[in-house]
This record gives sequence, C-alpha cells and structure tokens, in this order.
Amino acid sequence: MALTLLLLVPLVAAIVLLAMPAAAALDRVISLGASVVTAALGIFVVWAGDSVDVPWIRSLGIRWHFAVDGISAALVLLTVLLVVGVVLHALAGPTPSGGSRSTYLGAIMLVETGALATFLARDAILFFIAFEVVLVPMWLLIRRFGDDHVADETRADAAGRFVLFTVFGSTLMLIGILLLVSHQGTSDLEALARMHGAGLSHSLEVAIAAILLTGLAVKVPLWPLHTWLPSAHTIAPTAGSVLLAAVLLKMGTYGIVRLAVAAVPEGVIALSPILAVLGAVGVIWGGLACLVERDLKRLIAYSSVAHMGFIAIALASGSHTGLQAALFANIAHGIVSALLFFLVGDLKEQWGSADLSTPRVALRDRAPRFGVAFVFGLAAALGLPGLVSFWGEFLSLYAAWSPAEGVNVGVLRGTVVVGAIGLALAAAYSLRVARILWAGEGAPETAGEVTPAGAREAASEVVVDERGIRWGVVLVLIAVMVTLGVLPHLLLTISEMDAAALLTGVTR
Amino acid sequence: MTWVVRLIVLLPALAGLAGLLTRRRRAVSAGIAVGTATAVALLALAQWANPLRTADIDSFGGLPLLDLSVPLHLLSDRLSGLVSFVVAVVVLAIQVFTVWYLREDKRYGQFSATVSLFAAGMLLVVQSADLALTLVGWEIMGWCSWLLIGHDTERYAARRAAYKAFIVTRFADIGMVIGLVALAVRAGSTDLLDVLTVAESDGLLTVGLIGVLIGVAGKSGLFPFHDWLPDAMEGPTPASALIHAATMVAAGSYVVARFFPLYAVDDAARLLLAVLAAVTMVYAAVLAFAQSDVKRLLAYSTLSQIAIMLGALAAAPVEVGAAPAISHLIGHAFFKALLFLGVGWLAVLAGGTAVAKLRGQLRPRGALRWSIAIGLAALAGIPPFIGFFTKETVIDAAFEGVAEGVGIGAWLVLVALLVTVVLTAAYCTRAWLLLDGPLQARGSGSATDSAAAEPGDADTLAPEPAVAGSHGAGHADHAPITLPAALSVAALAVLSVVGTLFLLGVKDAVHVGLSTAVLSVLLIAGAALAVWVASRRGHDDAADRLPAAVLAAAPRGFGADGVYARFGLGVVALARVVVMLDRDVVDAYPRATAVTARGLGRIGERAHRAIPSLALVGLVVGVGLVVGLGVATWL
Repeated sequence: MALTLLLLVPLVAAIVLLAMPAAAALDRVISLGASVVTAALGIFVVWAGDSVDVPWIRSLGIRWHFAVDGISAALVLLTVLLVVGVVLHALAGPTPSGGSRSTYLGAIMLVETGALATFLARDAILFFIAFEVVLVPMWLLIRRFGDDHVADETRADAAGRFVLFTVFGSTLMLIGILLLVSHQGTSDLEALARMHGAGLSHSLEVAIAAILLTGLAVKVPLWPLHTWLPSAHTIAPTAGSVLLAAVLLKMGTYGIVRLAVAAVPEGVIALSPILAVLGAVGVIWGGLACLVERDLKRLIAYSSVAHMGFIAIALASGSHTGLQAALFANIAHGIVSALLFFLVGDLKEQWGSADLSTPRVALRDRAPRFGVAFVFGLAAALGLPGLVSFWGEFLSLYAAWSPAEGVNVGVLRGTVVVGAIGLALAAAYSLRVARILWAGEGAPETAGEVTPAGAREAASEVVVDERGIRWGVVLVLIAVMVTLGVLPHLLLTISEMDAAALLTGVTR
Repeated sequence: MTWVVRLIVLLPALAGLAGLLTRRRRAVSAGIAVGTATAVALLALAQWANPLRTADIDSFGGLPLLDLSVPLHLLSDRLSGLVSFVVAVVVLAIQVFTVWYLREDKRYGQFSATVSLFAAGMLLVVQSADLALTLVGWEIMGWCSWLLIGHDTERYAARRAAYKAFIVTRFADIGMVIGLVALAVRAGSTDLLDVLTVAESDGLLTVGLIGVLIGVAGKSGLFPFHDWLPDAMEGPTPASALIHAATMVAAGSYVVARFFPLYAVDDAARLLLAVLAAVTMVYAAVLAFAQSDVKRLLAYSTLSQIAIMLGALAAAPVEVGAAPAISHLIGHAFFKALLFLGVGWLAVLAGGTAVAKLRGQLRPRGALRWSIAIGLAALAGIPPFIGFFTKETVIDAAFEGVAEGVGIGAWLVLVALLVTVVLTAAYCTRAWLLLDGPLQARGSGSATDSAAAEPGDADTLAPEPAVAGSHGAGHADHAPITLPAALSVAALAVLSVVGTLFLLGVKDAVHVGLSTAVLSVLLIAGAALAVWVASRRGHDDAADRLPAAVLAAAPRGFGADGVYARFGLGVVALARVVVMLDRDVVDAYPRATAVTARGLGRIGERAHRAIPSLALVGLVVGVGLVVGLGVATWL
C-alpha cells in the first residue's frame, strides 16, 4: 500500500503540475507537499520493507511487482530525500527561463517517479518501462530549461544527445532483457536472481551479459560511451544536473547489479576484465580531462566519469567487498556531485557562466559559506577520508586486488594501480578548482586594497553568499557527507545481507 | 580506560569542527583550541603513564564485509602512549604560541581549527591498529597541511606551495594505497596484528612494503619527493613547526616503525629504505648548509633528521627493533618545534627569516637566545641535550646492524650517519654564528643578498614584493610576545634538555655506545671548529666559502622544483591530448552517426517528394502501355 502510494504521489503531483496553468500559485504547495510526503513514504517503505505484487499484463505474465531490499533501500532514500532538497532549492530562487515554474517542478517530480520505480521494480519489463519514464522529463529540463546563455542549437544538441544516447542504451538493454526473459521463462527479477544464470549455456550467458552491460554502460556512463554526459550537465539547470548526477547515473549501476550481476553472473565474470579496464580508462580519462577543463560544470561531469569508473572496477571484482563498495560509492557520488552541482548552479546563476578562466574574487573571503562548502565538496571529490567518498574508493581498490574466483586477477590488479593514480589526479583537479575558486587564483592580488577597478574585475566582484533555504540544503548535504564518512556502516549494513544473497543466488 | 584512547583522537577532531563553527570569535576559538590541546595532553599523559597494552579497542565498529575483515580497532601500548603524549605536548605548545603569533590574522579561527584537526589525524595514525584508519589519519594530515601551508591564500607563493605539498604527497600516496591494499589482501584483514602475524616473505609482501615506503617517502620528504617540504615554509611558522616537528613528516617514521617486523624479513624493501634514507640524510644536510633563509635551513635539516629515523629502521637488527627510530622521533619533535617557534619569534622581531635579515639579531634577546642555543645544540647532537642521546642510539643501532649482518643497507646507513653528524654540526654552527654574530657584518656578499631577496621560490613569477616572500615579514609592528607564548617556547627548551628522561621507560630507546659517542663528539667538535675558522670567527658566512654555483643553486633545491614542474606540465600536456581525443575521436562516432542518419533522412525525403519521379512516370506509362496492349489484344 505504502509502496504504491510512494509511486503514485509524485506521479499525480507531476501530472497536476504539468497540467496546471502557468499563472497558478499552487505549484509551490503541491510540489513541496508531494516531495515531503514521498520522502516520508520512502522512509517508511524502507523501514517496513514493504512490497506489492499483483498481476498486471496477464497475457504476457508481467506483474505489478515492486519491493525494496538492501540493494535498493539506500538509493530510494537518496532519491526521495534529494528531491526534497531539489524542490526546496528550486523554490528558493528564480526559475530558469524557458517555461513556467509548475512545468519545471512537474518535470522534477516525474523524474522522481521514474527513478523510484526503477529502483523498486522487481520485474524486468517493469524495470525497463520505469527506466524510460525518466527520459522525457529530463529531456524537458535540458531542452527547455537549459542554460539560456548559449545558443538554442547547443541546448538542442545537449538534449538530443542525452535522449539518443540513452535510448540507444536502453534499446540494447531491452534486447538483453527479452533474450534473458525468453530463455528463462520469467521476467520476475527475484526468480531470475534465484536462477542465477542456471539453464543458460555459457556463451548465451556471456552474450546476454555483453548486451546488458553495453546498454547500461551508456547510462553509467562508462568510457567511451560518456560523451553525452558533459554537454547534458553543462546545459541542464541546477535541478537537472543534480538529478542527473545523483539519481540517473545510479540507475545504470543499479541496473548492472540487478539485471546483469544477479541474473547472468557467469557472463559478468567472463566480461569483468573488459568492465574493469573500461572503468580504469574512465578514471584516468576523466581525471586528465578535469585538469584542463575550463567549464566547471563540464569538469564535474568528467569527474563523474572518473568516479563511476571506480564503481565499474568494484563491480568487476565480483566479490562481496566489491559489490558493497560499488553500492556505497554509488551513494557517495550521488551526495557529493549533488552538493557540487548545487553550489556551481548557484554561482552560475549569479555569474552567468561557470568558466574557470575568468578571474573571480576569492570565495574564501567574499563568500565564506560558498568557500567552506566548496572546500568540503572538493575534499570529498578527491576522496578525503572522513568524508563519504573515501570508503567506496578504498574498498573498490581492495576488492579489485583480490577479486572473486574466476576473475582475471592480473587485469584487475592492473586497474588497482590505475585507480590509485586516478586518486592522485582527483587531488590535482580538485585542488586546481579550489585554488581558482576558493583562493581566488587569477583574481587581482591586492584584493581589498586600492586597485584600479578594471571593468572585467568589477563584473566578477559581485557574489552574494549562500543564504536561507539554499544554504540549509547545502549544510544538510555536508552533514550527511561527514556522517557517512565517519560511520560508513550506516550504509554498508543496509546492503550487507542482500549483497551476499545476490552474489550467491540465494534468496533470503 | 579505553575511552581515554578514543578521546585522544575524538577530542581534537571535535575541536576542529567546533573551531570552524566559532571561527569568527577569536577568544572562543582560541579557548577551544588551547583547552582541547591541554585536555588531550593530559589524557595522553594518563595513557602513557598507565598503558593498556591492547590492540582491539573499538573505534566505531567493524565494517560489514564478508571477505575482508575491517575491525577499525585502535591500539594502546607504551610506544603509542609516549608518542601521543609528545605529539599532544608539541601541539599544545604550538596552539599557545599561535594565539600570540596570529594575533592580527583575520583567519586565526580557521588556522587553529585546522591545527586541531591535523592533530587528530596524527593521533589517529599513532593509535591506529588498522590499515584503513592509518590511511584515514594519513590523508587527513595531508589535507590539513594544504590548508595550513596555503593559509595566506592572497599570496601566490603560498597557494603554489600548498598545492605542491599536497600533490607531491598525494602522488606518493599512490604507492601508499597500493601498499596498504596489498598488505591487507595478504592477511585478508586490515587489522594491524593480523597483517603483522603473516610474517613470511613473499612477492605480495615486497609489493606492499615498497608501496608503503613510497607513500612514506612522500610524506616524510625522502628523496626524490623531498622538495615540497622547504616550500612548505610559506605557511605561518606555527604550521611549519607542526608539520615538521611531531606530525606529518614524522608520521612516516612511525608507520614504518609499526611495520618493522615485516620490513625486517623483507630484504628488498629494507634495502630500498636504507638507500633512500642514506641519500636523503646527506643530501638534505648539504643543502641545509647552503641555505640563505633560516626557515628553509630548518626545513632541510628536518629532511635530514627524518631520514636518520628511517635509517635507524633500515639498519637496526631485529632484536633492537624500532625503538631507536622512535626515540629520535621524540627528540626531534622537541627540539625542532623549539627551533621553529624560536625562529618564528625572532622573525617577528627582525621582520623576516632571510639570513640577511636575521644576522646578528639573536645577541640582545635573553631567553630567546638561550632557547635557540639549546635547540641548535640538540640538533647538532651535543651532550647532554636530547638530540645527543637519540642520535647516538641510532648510530649504535646501525653499528649493531652492521655487526649482526643486516647487510649492505646497514653499512650504507652507518656511513651516511657519520657524514651527517659532521654536516649537521657544520650547519648548526653556521646558523648560530650568523644569528648570534656581530650585527653588521662586512658586506654580506651579493650572492646571499639576491638569494635572500626571494627565499628559494623557484617561481620568479611570484607577484608580491620580493621581501614579503615569507610569512613573518608582515609582522614588523607585531605586539610584543605574551607570557604564555614565551613560556611555551621555554617549555620546549626545557624538554629538549630533560626529555631524555621520557625515553628511559622504553626498552632500547636510549642506548649510547661509549666509543661511538666519543667518535661523534669529536666529529662534531671538528666540524664546528672548521666552520668557525671558515667564517673567520663568526665575521663571515661560512657558506660563502662554497663554490658560487652551489651557493646559487642550493636555495632552489638544485632545481628539483623545475623537475616537478616539468612532470606536471607533461601530465597537463597529456590531459590536453585526452581532451582532444575525447572531442575528435571518441565523440566522432556519435556525431558521425548523427550525420549519417540525417543524410539518410535527406535521401529518403528526396525520394518521397510529391513531384512524380522518372520511375513513377515510367511505371504509369508502362502500366498504360500494358493495359492498352491488353485491351487492344482482347478486342
């Protein structure tokens, strides 16, 4: 019951918001109310371990089957809580140009619906449908509400890229799902996990795994299928970037765990060297690109490619530690990238661009709240212990060094070395950003003293510090980051048993 | 009693957080910083006086992983108790001193909070019984060092030095991470005891130990990672004292000491340790002698002294163990903190840390003069100061290592130690003669002047006026020192004299051989005499006797910075290639797909225009013909 409501509340809210006239003032109440109620329901569902299972399309044997378990619980919580933050953040500032606020909020709620349904779905076909629901509202956010400082074609290109890449990926995924379902005779994900690949010939299993992994790799995104991400992130409004990084990318890794690792384990193990190598290339590729990238939003997007690379390495290890590390790093990246995109979005709102080569004031002095928040965000981005990302990355390197039986040890150990180099690169680019934004590298050296006010400096001197609700959202994210960094078990225990069950094919 | 161990780590961490929240109110943040440092010192004293001897104190519970045990335990034994106590005392002295030193700094709150967090990181490394926790403390220190060195973010040199420090150490941490992972994989656990009990030598052990060693070389500034440390002098003097004396750089020695049983059975890793330590020991001491800035002189001496500790670990036989290294760590913590705070104090009075500024400034300063005298004497290893005992213990351990067949590494370390004794005495004598010499010496030599104008910063693009290159310079009109700050310096001076007593409780921590002691005293006296003569009884700078080329290159660390910068530029060039590939190759396929699809669409569109095509016309005509023919035939 609660679970159905959890999906219906944001869906109904989205429909109402999209349908209501632009002038109506109720959108504030509806969106906020719906997101808070959804969050409460989400917490309840996770706590109660709720599930719903009724026949849906009888002729195809597809069931309306949703449930929550240790693998998805943290992602559900992340989604529902983050959407509250996104809505609060959106209401606390001007709506991006391109449409009415109610449409903007409606798109956010629709993304939430699709994401929740994806994380909760226990039927492969249902999973696919939910996976696709997210596309349209996200396209809307990028296409219509995207950065209005760039030409319309650029927005069209970013939105088109996002949709076409993702649809290409999900088409492959659908083929994989259909192959799997037709051979196993069921689309029930729990049954598929219980079968654990039994009854499939090895080559068929590898083929299905290859199709599924390729399809999902677009969403993650893994190198070399990542080129939609930077443009989508750069153009998307703050809410879009946050949801994209924190929720949508996670659907990719979650799909790998739920569909591929659980249902075709041998295939994944056979392909794990490729998965690990692509992840490792992504770590280095993203890290290097961040060293010279000038647009801060693009930079964070490339750092996402690097962080998701670690998750791929962890998944490739096939061990329990690896799976735990991947699930943890998933959440960690969600929180950290959400924080960074909130901050950059707010700065971009003021500055009109997020170009690092423009000389700016030192945030440390002129906007200390921005400054502190950036220091925390960037420290987390480079994997500083005590903040959330460290555990995911450290444990994935451990897992890759001692992978599960059957996984190519030599290749995996190579990726450990590459991953460790990626950590150093992360430090280099994070501090590069800190040096420019926080310490004001490139700003006039004599700030605060008498300077001949050049026109260029004067334009960038204006920066209003974070305050009010937006500052509150940022503070909460920082608090979560520190809490989970100090107490990683809070997350790891949620997924411990189900991760073990998923790897062995034993249902609890 | 286990809560004492936990509190020693927890309190400074909380103080760091609280200090950050109250950073606007100077009195409150000062109260928090000093109060916590005092409390931690007392707790550490309690722990040291009454050690628990346990290695399974729960910190916050183990991690739920099925194929890896991560208990996250803390340990407590005599060694950790003593080192935590020393760290806590030095941190306390630094916090008290900072209240005065940064009195006019608008970022005092952030600074003291960061020092607290830094202390938490170091104390965590000291108390950690888990590889993961060691890495946590290790990285936290690195991050705090970035914040502290870059305290004056207005200055380009400070930003650059902070960046350099963090990147160089983090680069070395590639090794650290891989090493710790390899060690954990060997034992299937990150618990220190589990890791240590799997003692047989194998390939994985060598990889692990060499990896850890590379990480240690980064943080402790072993060659070739040494060059970040002198640049780190851009930070305020208390930060330098903290980084150099009891934390960060010393943490490496402590970590290797904890792994000593493993290093003892792995010849490859141990030989590498010996070579790096021996090279750094001598090389840094030579550089120290030729510096034209007193803070940088101290920085190079730190490198050399840390290498002595690591040398002890490389050369000591198994029975002697890690105690000599730890005792030198403790002695060094006292006298180096003393020297940094003393020189910081002097720099405030004199308005800079360049030799040209400080020359002769010490003579009229009473207590400060005595403090620095004690510090330099302890550094040089003159009896009865603590440096003498700890250094002699190390030399003795190296002798025993040679005698008991530790191998070529022990020989190397022993020779390097004796050379370093001479060099250390030489640069200490030079520093003393300069600081305490006649106020206005004969023209101090143009080489010294030009080098002093820009204290060692290889980057000539530094935009600030040449004199402001180092932190102390801005404090010419600083308030006179307060009693607590002066007392903290005095306390460190006292500890540099009587600190040896602390070491007596630890087995093998003080072990002075008579013949080696006589030998090194003779070496020290000879070196001091030679410098005294070379400086014409203190009227000249002894370093001026060095070849001009050496004198010009030494303040810049013989161009190591340039090598690092070139490496960095290489990486950036690679990054540009990657971006280019990303745009022109990886993304070319999607774009080509789009172009192809659009092209196909155009073709299709053209094929379906409303204008009748030739084929259609042909078809209609053909059909008409056929129909016409058929009709005609039928008729």
